[in-house]
Amino acid sequence: MKAKRRVVTDIGPPMPSRAAVQRRGRTSGQSSAGATRASEPGSRPVPPPAQLDGPIDLTVDLGRGLVLPNPILVASGTFGYGIEYGEVVDIEALGGICCKGTTLRPRVGNPTPRVTETPGGMLNSIGLQNPGVDAVIAKYATTWERWRVPVIVNVAGESVEDYVEVVRRLDGIPGIAGIELNISCPNVGRGGLQFAIDADAAAGVTAAVRRATDLPLLVKLSPNVADVRPIARAIADAGADALTAVNTLSGIAVAGSRSRPLLGNIYGGLSGPAIKPVALRVVYEVSQVVDIPIIAIGGITGLDDVLDFLAVGAVAVQVGTAIFADPTLPVRLVGELEDACRAHGHRSHLGFVGTALPRRAAAPSSKGVEYRP
Amino acid sequence: MRLVGAELIEAREILPGQWLQTYHAPALATGSRAGQFVHVRTGDLSGFVLRRPFSINTADAATGTISIHFRTIGRGTEWFTHLRPGDVIDMLGPLGRPFEVDPRSQHLLLIAGGLGMAGVRSLADEAIRDGRQVTLLFGAASARDVYPTALLPDEVEYVIATDDGSVGHHGYVTDLVPAYEAWADQAFACGPEPMLKAVSRLAATRSHRMGVAKLGRKRGGGKAIPAGSPAARRKAFLQVSMEQRMGCAVGACLGCVVMATSGTPQRVCREGPVFASDEIDWEGSWGR
Ligand SMILES: Cc1cc2nc3c(=O)[nH]c(=O)nc-3n(C[C@H](O)[C@H](O)[C@H](O)COP(=O)(O)O)c2cc1C
Ligand code: FES
Repeated sequence: MKAKRRVVTDIGPPMPSRAAVQRRGRTSGQSSAGATRASEPGSRPVPPPAQLDGPIDLTVDLGRGLVLPNPILVASGTFGYGIEYGEVVDIEALGGICCKGTTLRPRVGNPTPRVTETPGGMLNSIGLQNPGVDAVIAKYATTWERWRVPVIVNVAGESVEDYVEVVRRLDGIPGIAGIELNISCPNVGRGGLQFAIDADAAAGVTAAVRRATDLPLLVKLSPNVADVRPIARAIADAGADALTAVNTLSGIAVAGSRSRPLLGNIYGGLSGPAIKPVALRVVYEVSQVVDIPIIAIGGITGLDDVLDFLAVGAVAVQVGTAIFADPTLPVRLVGELEDACRAHGHRSHLGFVGTALPRRAAAPSSKGVEYRP
Repeated sequence: MRLVGAELIEAREILPGQWLQTYHAPALATGSRAGQFVHVRTGDLSGFVLRRPFSINTADAATGTISIHFRTIGRGTEWFTHLRPGDVIDMLGPLGRPFEVDPRSQHLLLIAGGLGMAGVRSLADEAIRDGRQVTLLFGAASARDVYPTALLPDEVEYVIATDDGSVGHHGYVTDLVPAYEAWADQAFACGPEPMLKAVSRLAATRSHRMGVAKLGRKRGGGKAIPAGSPAARRKAFLQVSMEQRMGCAVGACLGCVVMATSGTPQRVCREGPVFASDEIDWEGSWGR
């Protein structure tokens, strides 16, 4: 007997009012960002006057019963297991939480240094440090079950069998709302080539996981490929419910002494505002070749970034690196997006989706596959 | 842990390239303990995407102020030096776990190398307030880098070592430790990793010789105290405050770890920055 998966069904009114979001912000001790002297582009003083009354629907239907309460999620690896920012962030106001990459066995991760700041971004090489799937379930699942916010477990592995086994163990555990496959991992069975850079390998792992679970299945694209479109199409055809894009860009930094690369692992993943144009390009390309929903990730630091990603076809976004500087940003974005809907006369943020895409027959999908007419 | 707006009250360049800044932040001044730190947001996100961690150098509950002490090592720390009194910046804190002083410890030995002063400085205040005796051993490259005596409480015995011998002992601060080791009930160190490694080697030999006897600790009595717990740290002769590059500073990103003797990397921001010295794997064996 599988335990019943918790699904968000209360979609009306879907959102805490803006006032509620602001109230939460204040009680959690939120202060104005940066120095008051240095004016911050993201902090607009007064929201535009409401031009639409009544509830705004910010929900996102990803299929298989997973309805996100709103389209602002937090990205894997930047928000731990959802508890770490507890007192500072009102997690229940988020659209979803993607937890740290989880593997079959515990991993100690890469040698240090593991993070460094770069122009407009950062490099990280955590090396998937995590206690292993069984410990993750034992430690966090009962907490997640109590939350209204859906928790999506990010899954990593070194072989198709690894992925399948992790997902099997997660399947049916109350408190787990979905799976996000991190396929930017070396495939030991194929000489260490990443799953994410090869359409066949990506489709293979997606199909195998698809057979192992009926949990909503998100697959995370890597930007480190020549042409992402055939890979995205292969993953969609293999049964993914949604795509998330993008993971970090491969990069290195040099130590101050110039005698070696800075990171203990030499290579790291670049994230933050610096990668936003790359992420936009990937979402723009992919949304024109697949019919499943796309959740955009990459360098989001404000509402304008969210609207840009919606314009190129994403139906939801994840905020990552920006949380480190501004932990309350994702919750604020929910309120700001609702305001933007009102100001533009949209009943749903889906009104912003796809406006920058070339005209074509069908608009990008905003629903899970099996809900398509 | 809270996000607070902290107003700059005073900024001084106390040494070439080293700054002491005092901020009005009552929640941090009253709610923090020696050894904890704050994670401070820099300016515009499109330039700097990470906050900067600073030890709470001093905390004054009466005035509701805390101070931070830093060296300008890049554009990020440089940004802080352009702040003017009245400017409000965003601080996340207090973060991490504090030093744990055994209630029976009367003689505290503080050992600081360079900027490591910022890590142990507030413990001097706390210990003196609690009626303990404090000796502070401080090492720097040269006289011009020596933390000013005037910025320390009068009650502290301040012993200096410089690499070039321009003031105090000619050599490393670790050379001074053996002379004070027998006097000390507990020791607390912060500084460059080679220094911490050397001090912890000294401490390891000491705990065999006398550490346990000195405070009349019972061996093997009662339940085992889990390594890394406040109780276990309180029993340690040497506690070290570690430094590591940080992302989130709340335990979410695993960017800041140090390898532990347990084999599981420990987060400097969450399990640390203070550790009992025997919790740290000083060889950093990342065998995989
Ligand atoms: C410190 C850190 C750790 C990360 N860990 C993971 C991970 O475990 N699994 C994963 O799929 N992505 C991971 N990512 C990638 C992020 O989820 C996200 O795709 C990327 O950072 C781009 O978004 P951003 O620019 O908003 O940060 C990590 C990113 C950072 C900065
Ligand atoms: S800095 Fe993120 S876990 Fe410590």
